[in-house]
Amino acid sequence: MADFFANWLPNWLALTLAALVHVTLILTLALTAAAAFTWAERKVAGRIQDRLGPTRVGGRFGWLQAVADGLKLVSKEDVVPKNADPLLFRAAPYVSFCASFCVYLAMPFANGWVAQPLDIAVFFILAVAGLEVLGVILGGYASGSKWSLFGAMREAAQVVSYEVPLALCAVIPVMVAGTMDLVAIGNMQSGWAWNWLIFHDPFLFATFFVYFTCAVASVNRAPFDLAEAESELVAGFLTEYSGFRWSVFFMAEYASMFAVSMLASILFLGGWNGPLPITVWLGLAPNPATGDAPHALLAYLGNFLGMVNLLTKATLGVLVMMWARWTLPRLRIDQVMTMCLKYCIPLAAAMFVGAMVYAYAFPAGLIFRVGGGG
Amino acid sequence: MAVEGVDPELAEFDVRTDEILVNMGPQHPSTHGVLRVVLRTDGEIVLDATPHIGYLHRCAEKIGENVSARQWIPYTDRMDYLAGMNMNLGWALCVEKLLKLEAPEKARHLRVIIVELNRIASHLVAAGTYGLDLGSFTPFMYAFREREKIYDLFELVCGARLTYSYITIGGAMADFPAGWLQRCERFLTEFEPVIDELHAVLTDNAIFIRRTAGIGVLPPEVAIDYGCTGPVLRGSGVDWDLRRDGDPWYTRMYDGYEFHVIAQTGGRYPIERPGHPVPAAAVLGDCWHRYYVRMLECVESMRLIRQGIEKYSRAPGGIGEPIKLTQKLPKGEVYLETEAPKGQMGFMIVSDGAAIPWRARARSSSFCNLSVLSELCRGCLIADVPAVLGSLDIVLGEIDR
Amino acid sequence: MGVNFHSVFFHLMAVLASGFALAVVFSNNIVRMAFYLVASLGAVAGLFFLAGADFVAALQLMIYVGGTLVLLIFGVMLTARGPFADLKTSPAQWTVVGLVGGSLLAVLLYAASSASRWTASGKAASAPPDQVAPTSAPLGLALLGARVDKLDPKQNSASSRAGGMSGYLLPFEIVSVHLVVVLIGAAYLARARRRATPRPIAANSPPDDPSQSSSVS
Repeated sequence: MADFFANWLPNWLALTLAALVHVTLILTLALTAAAAFTWAERKVAGRIQDRLGPTRVGGRFGWLQAVADGLKLVSKEDVVPKNADPLLFRAAPYVSFCASFCVYLAMPFANGWVAQPLDIAVFFILAVAGLEVLGVILGGYASGSKWSLFGAMREAAQVVSYEVPLALCAVIPVMVAGTMDLVAIGNMQSGWAWNWLIFHDPFLFATFFVYFTCAVASVNRAPFDLAEAESELVAGFLTEYSGFRWSVFFMAEYASMFAVSMLASILFLGGWNGPLPITVWLGLAPNPATGDAPHALLAYLGNFLGMVNLLTKATLGVLVMMWARWTLPRLRIDQVMTMCLKYCIPLAAAMFVGAMVYAYAFPAGLIFRVGGGG
Repeated sequence: MAVEGVDPELAEFDVRTDEILVNMGPQHPSTHGVLRVVLRTDGEIVLDATPHIGYLHRCAEKIGENVSARQWIPYTDRMDYLAGMNMNLGWALCVEKLLKLEAPEKARHLRVIIVELNRIASHLVAAGTYGLDLGSFTPFMYAFREREKIYDLFELVCGARLTYSYITIGGAMADFPAGWLQRCERFLTEFEPVIDELHAVLTDNAIFIRRTAGIGVLPPEVAIDYGCTGPVLRGSGVDWDLRRDGDPWYTRMYDGYEFHVIAQTGGRYPIERPGHPVPAAAVLGDCWHRYYVRMLECVESMRLIRQGIEKYSRAPGGIGEPIKLTQKLPKGEVYLETEAPKGQMGFMIVSDGAAIPWRARARSSSFCNLSVLSELCRGCLIADVPAVLGSLDIVLGEIDR
Repeated sequence: MGVNFHSVFFHLMAVLASGFALAVVFSNNIVRMAFYLVASLGAVAGLFFLAGADFVAALQLMIYVGGTLVLLIFGVMLTARGPFADLKTSPAQWTVVGLVGGSLLAVLLYAASSASRWTASGKAASAPPDQVAPTSAPLGLALLGARVDKLDPKQNSASSRAGGMSGYLLPFEIVSVHLVVVLIGAAYLARARRRATPRPIAANSPPDDPSQSSSVS
């Protein structure tokens, strides 16, 4: 994009403008997604509980409820507890927020549509996503209350523990694909649905579910949300946060949910490549058979459709997380840790070995091939 | 943790934490009421749990010495407010026993229907809020939706949703309105599949089982020692239900009715759910069993209501007249316990011949059930305390009176 | 005249890194020190990114900031006496620190300025690399023993070990075994001896005593 602007502007200005456009797009997308998910959460919760959810603000479906909630939160009184460390208390939500949103820097939305093309995209995403826990710890500590601190510690322990099986599960498709570049992994799965990595071998299929479970645990969603919902007994780290700061934490949480869903979609579910190669049929994407490349504008449209495809898959993932939250009871913290250490990690390791053996034994795939070679 | 006789190797490797006092309540997100539980914990393990009660004390028994017997009925409503009809029944039967006044046959069947409906309502609250305590929000909504239907029925009968003062000394305040029995039948038909839904979301849910099975195991002798009654006692395997084994003045209300007492005897429950056996992790006397007894009791109550509807329709006569407000009570004292949803609720009246009792006393089932909390919580994790508390199904109105 | 973004960001990151490092040293509150250290190491990761070493930068973020510092903050927060532990440094300590730190800084500056490859001499990197060079594939292969970045066509494959072609396979294996040893040691140290299952109902079971706890399964 910088080259595009450089046709008219000096180089440095072109770079600035390109960076601003990228940042604006990403922030808009992520923030809108977070706001939409707060609405969706309430609607999904209502429907699962045999009631309607918000129906008043913004027409019959209450779609402006998120905006109303946002306005309410912004207009709340700014309360800082007396015992709180002023600097850290104020900084903690933003640490979480930044870590959560930086993930989108390396996340491709379509072929070539990525803010910063990184060769090590998967690694970068895992590294940055793990920084969110710092905000949690700081928030819990800086609230000045013993219970916030313990809640924060518990949550941090859970997130940090689940990073291990999460990374292990993310490494398996990377190993099968041979690259950490998400754009390359996405392109590898172009074509029909059986090119998706999830159908590459039975181990990857199982890995998807283990990955999803670990992802739910690492963003502290039910059934793994004991730390933030234990306010009945011990105050979670969010207790002292109200108003805008609280909403920043929750934006971070929804953005993380969306990000891990998107990562799962790209790694396992084909990313921007749909179950059917529609873009090839419509002439919007390069045809692998004949090698024709479409006109630039049509390619843009093809990429746009791909992005919509990817966002749909990620949204479905988030909806499944919401579904699980409103259906299942909570696990106790020791049960959460047991599940991580005794079940998720051995499973992920077994899947890793299995996928490795499978790739060695059937390099061209047994039934389904990874499109484009792997 | 200053415990003598600790293995020194264990002491060396264990991270020492000081004992902490954790205060639970008196404000609670769950509807147990205003209860304060002080936990003495060693890190995550609870060493001691002391309930502090009295936040809801309203001097009901003192007021009982200042109002006539019939005037005290609204005060009984507000004791176990989730099962007001049962409270009314307990006091009405107690005074009737003193007066040697038998309510007519039709009133007997009416009382069975009403009281068992309220038992279902109370158990629905128990199940719903139990799920809520453990983080499952949905069964709470389902249970309360059904409870609304029961409240609609009660509103048609006596005009109130929660505090009824309906069952009175001598019978009931008014007969069923026209069409009520059909509505009740319709409710029962709609309610049956909901029980299965609740089973699916709670009873058979793997996470729920992990949170409740093996937690808070109450041996039957300890239960009897502490005076626990109701599902808490039957959940430990003791086959005891006042509707079958109690005072004849009370059990005669259930004459001719067929029902099972829900307690695991000989390793089996009287009601089997094909395809859903008792989970292997559940130990008799744990939270899961106490909860399960309540769920099965809902089914039994439905059976009783259906029999009651049929018997009521065939019974001749009227439902009786309440005694006069200022009726003089004979000298004497009577203590009568009834099987309320939460346990054995006892009412005692001591009369010296006046219309106003000399002493009116309520023996609360939840009071004794709560007293076993410190036994059960010893040695469990902090996160298990809401699980244990929810399984005891206490209501503070009854404890504090 | 334009803005050389590479320089701008380099200076920004450098200022952040050194500024937060100074804040660590001069702060009185131990938790804030940990927070400033996080920021400082994050800025160092930014410096790595600017140098084109993506992999090392991500490693820095994941291992230092996301791992080591989380552990540090845990330890600091759990052991700080009272919510806000104050650390006052006495003037004597300041003098010693000033001398040692200052001399070390002088040595480093001298070494840095005398490294010939680092002095700005005409071929200043004014244009930022607009293409990100892949960094992980050569690294991965090097860990497996094939230094593809140092391929010298003059050496034939028979004596490949001699031309700087030896990879890092042995250190890689040693580190892996080391990690396994550390994990096993940590698990051994952290084991807890607790009673495994709750006691089922027995006829005359004694009441639970506080030295035993129920299952942590």
